Amino acid sequence: MNTLPGKIKDVSVSGSLSLAHIDVAGNLFSAIVIDTPATSSYLSPGKTVSVIFKETEVIIGTGKEHAVSLQNRLQGKIIEIESGDLLAKIVLDTAAGKVVSVITSQAVKKLGLKEGLEVTALIKTNEIMLTA
Amino acid sequence: MIDWNPLWLTFKLAFIVTVVLLIVSVPLAYWMNASKSRIKPIIETFVSMPLVLPPTVLGFYLLVAFSPSNFFGHWLEQWFNIRLVFSFAGLVIASVFYSLPFMVHPIQSGFAKLPSSLTDASYVLGKSKTTTLFKVLLPNIRPSLLTGIVLAFAHTVGEFGVVLMIGGNIPDKTRVASIAIFDEVEAMHYSVANAYSMVLFAITFLILLTVYLINGGYLKKLWK
Amino acid sequence: MIDLSIEKLLKAPSGEMNLSVQMNIPKGSFVCIYGKSGAGKTTLFKILSGIMHPDKGKIVVNDQTWLDTQNKINEPPQKRKVGFVFQDYALFPNMTVQENLNYALQKGQPADIVDELMELMELGGLAERKPETLSGGQKQRVALARALVQKPEILLLDEPLSALDHEMRTKLQQYILKVHRQYHLTTLLISHDVSEILRMADVLYHLEDGKIIRQGKPAEVFTRKEISGKLQLTGEVVSVESQDFICIVTVLVGNELVKVVTVRDEQHPLHPGDKVLIASKAFNPVVKRIG
Repeated sequence: MNTLPGKIKDVSVSGSLSLAHIDVAGNLFSAIVIDTPATSSYLSPGKTVSVIFKETEVIIGTGKEHAVSLQNRLQGKIIEIESGDLLAKIVLDTAAGKVVSVITSQAVKKLGLKEGLEVTALIKTNEIMLTA
Repeated sequence: MIDWNPLWLTFKLAFIVTVVLLIVSVPLAYWMNASKSRIKPIIETFVSMPLVLPPTVLGFYLLVAFSPSNFFGHWLEQWFNIRLVFSFAGLVIASVFYSLPFMVHPIQSGFAKLPSSLTDASYVLGKSKTTTLFKVLLPNIRPSLLTGIVLAFAHTVGEFGVVLMIGGNIPDKTRVASIAIFDEVEAMHYSVANAYSMVLFAITFLILLTVYLINGGYLKKLWK
Repeated sequence: MIDLSIEKLLKAPSGEMNLSVQMNIPKGSFVCIYGKSGAGKTTLFKILSGIMHPDKGKIVVNDQTWLDTQNKINEPPQKRKVGFVFQDYALFPNMTVQENLNYALQKGQPADIVDELMELMELGGLAERKPETLSGGQKQRVALARALVQKPEILLLDEPLSALDHEMRTKLQQYILKVHRQYHLTTLLISHDVSEILRMADVLYHLEDGKIIRQGKPAEVFTRKEISGKLQLTGEVVSVESQDFICIVTVLVGNELVKVVTVRDEQHPLHPGDKVLIASKAFNPVVKRIG
């Protein structure tokens, strides 16, 4: 479980869904939750929250610009790679703190990932949980 | 032909003593189980003393206390016209002291074995201490009560020293079976002594057997 | 409404402990007291019901003062309207089920409440049975019914479900909720079981070493804070299989087994028996009709 500190910038509500923008160490994250400021007190601009997402939901991209739909991006340096038979654990050092990603070992090879490399971590908006 | 009076006297004494003890011991045992008082160890010691003291010691002190030439005995005689020395009433009182632990201890341990939640539950259900004692506690320690009754009865039947000291050996008044046996042996009337002994032996055997059968649940099985 | 503030020095084999509790319980709520054994939970119940006396404190229930050590007020347990279900049930062994319930009738109280409770708790067939012939679940129902005969305002349940198997527990939880609503009770339940608490309680007090360390809505207290994931399950870890840096954690949720993949955390490893919260976004699970 990755937990990063952030601050809510704005919240747009539609029905019982809210799209929140969160400032995570200078990177703008978005999270969609089934909560509204009315049901959850932390869901208002200026509140500090923790952004939570699972290691297996973190996508790794090399280079800087990616023409994909993922909004949540964090740049960082690979400080550790642990490869298993099928899966590999990659630890990134980002401006917001350490982020762990679990991807297939095959992908590690294909992308030529190694320690010291600058990469981008991408997380889908609907994979992000918030907690006060 | 043997004189039945000593036997009759023995069982009359044992019966009265047991009834008195039951009335005295239930509240005493209840208090000893529940109390956290500082004098409790002292009371417990007094209750248990007859277990270890030679009966003659107890008999001697009671004799001194009841003697009309001493304060207590004098006071009794002056105010109530009661003389306890060498009387049946004196025997009853002395036997009550002497058999007290045999009644109190089983009842006390019966109370102690009951979970305290039974008492608590009864209080919370709005019931007084007395109601709780008679409706909940006593019915649930029936085996202990029975044990106490039988032990006290049997022990009174079997006593000798205290009875001899306080009661003397007055035929039809204080001459109980155990003393009669001693007398007959002294007088070399072995066959009479044997008759008394056989009766005591058989009756106490039957009483104790009944208790063990009841407490062991054997009789219940027979009834079913 | 229960307003309670008590203090009592307890002597336990492990040493002395000061039980110091303040509570403010609105009428009609279902409160759970959670905590390790020896935290003072049962003592708290005994003080509330008047079986034990605190060193100092005040208990006011629905504007009636039950205890006020300053003004020397101390109502005996007989005068406090409390239903108490003991951990060992405390059924009177000399009485049948029917007699146990009848015994609880107050002076002049009509006996129809006994019939009503016998029916509500489905005890009809057991009326003439002695407690020793009953199963744990049956004893529990009798104890609950007996506690309700005097129509208490407060119902205290001292871990009554801990000795029962899972299925029986679930059933009895429903009985308890049923009577809680039907008789407009304020109910306090001591429980160790997180899923039970989450299912039943409005308010949770977490007691540790004689002090309330946390209180609030059970879900918030257990997760410490709100988490936005909408699929939240609490359960108990059954097994942890490690594979490289991945752990496959099997969790018993209710009576279903759930498997979750986690990345191994060296600092806070999971062990069988741990109580856990599983959270996922409402976006992830798929729903399939099965009937």
